[in-house]
Amino acid sequence: MPIPALLTGLQLTDSAFPSGYYTLSHGLEGFQQARAVTPRSLPALLHDLLRHSAGPSDATALALAHRAVTTEDWAQVVAVERRLHATKLGREARQAAVRTGRQLLDLADEVYATPQIERYRTLYRDGAVRGCQPVVAGVVHAGNGLTTRQAVTCELFAFAASFVGAALRLRLTDHRRAQVVLHGAAPVIEEAVAAALDRELADLGGCVPLADVMAGRHERAEARLFAS
Amino acid sequence: MHDPTQVRGSHHHDHGHGHDDEFVRRPKDGVLRVGVAGPVGSGKTALIEALVPVLIGRGRTPAVITNDIYTSEDAAHVRRTLDGILAADRIVGVETGACPHTAVRDDPTMNQAAADEILERFPEVDTLLFESGGDNLTLTFSPALVDLFLFVLDTAEGDKMPRKRGPGITECELLVINKIDIAQYVRCDLARMESDAHQVRQGRPVVLTNSLTGEGLDTIADFLLAHEAAQPSGREAASA
Repeated sequence: MPIPALLTGLQLTDSAFPSGYYTLSHGLEGFQQARAVTPRSLPALLHDLLRHSAGPSDATALALAHRAVTTEDWAQVVAVERRLHATKLGREARQAAVRTGRQLLDLADEVYATPQIERYRTLYRDGAVRGCQPVVAGVVHAGNGLTTRQAVTCELFAFAASFVGAALRLRLTDHRRAQVVLHGAAPVIEEAVAAALDRELADLGGCVPLADVMAGRHERAEARLFAS
Repeated sequence: MHDPTQVRGSHHHDHGHGHDDEFVRRPKDGVLRVGVAGPVGSGKTALIEALVPVLIGRGRTPAVITNDIYTSEDAAHVRRTLDGILAADRIVGVETGACPHTAVRDDPTMNQAAADEILERFPEVDTLLFESGGDNLTLTFSPALVDLFLFVLDTAEGDKMPRKRGPGITECELLVINKIDIAQYVRCDLARMESDAHQVRQGRPVVLTNSLTGEGLDTIADFLLAHEAAQPSGREAASA
């Protein structure tokens, strides 16, 4: 892997990168408020979300978008984003994807300024796309020269790191155990990446009914720390 | 006795902070973005509730973004208080992920997104007020998010507060000492507090307020509008 491309991957997944992920718990706070997760079950919840939510949904959209950008199939990029947005059931998840995606697009244009980002921005200005984060990330990573597998791995790692960061603030783990949980998720990330790379557009979308219920409750919770 | 009709100190006096020279600020789009920071309970919400009608009286079209730490209490309070003055959908809350200063300084992504959405829905909005979650004295706003920020202290915290310094107190464009009416009841030496504030800010401006009576609020509005007018590519440039 060329070092310049690796560095962009590290930069985009660094928790210091202003991705907006700091304000997201990826559904965890809903589970915590319902007392449906404990420190002991935290890793299992992360694994389930990787396998059945982030993997089939965001990671798959990212893989499909990345591939489409690489082959300059921009109609496919638009189709991927439409399906991704349509398959996100909860309002919080849809809103988070669009909010973080638009800000990533704006910042990536300033930082990387690749032709791929410019092309996507044209689609955005024309109203063809909304700026969903996984698709924007696919565009950015493709422009930076990462392979589809590397790009998807980066994003699922960023998801997992953000999830355990939220767990820390929700007192579902401590700073040392958080790192154990994160490293323990590596085989599941690898599995979710492989599955995402095999999916077609028609298969895009997660299936996590309990998490959807928790997200719906979280949306109406009287108090919350996180936007999702 | 203090004279709250005057902002004391010169906001043109840059004594080494060098904000304008060192930071890449966001492009000017004709919208004045103002941050309001300060400890929990210092009166940030009350100040905004008092400031909005004053700004409307000056012909401005404001909207408010609150960064509640845990609940939507601040946003709900502002909506109730400004019922009939500012439409409820022009007041939005942003969750901060348990860390108010991250959401307005290190990673203001979600605040920027909320601002973008407000401006998409209400293109006539020309003034955005960002209320930070109550935080400690180190809180500052990202220059990519706001054009300037106020830091609100209050007399009940004790007259020692300015001497604690902290980037919020020393680097804000305007330091507000709020609740001046109760100073006498909480053993706060207001003259000392004001004098210390000027000393630690090395001449940068300080204003004394009572948000419940409106005392000092016109001064803040004057300051904000003067700050905007002093920008080389402000409102006039954007609309030209």
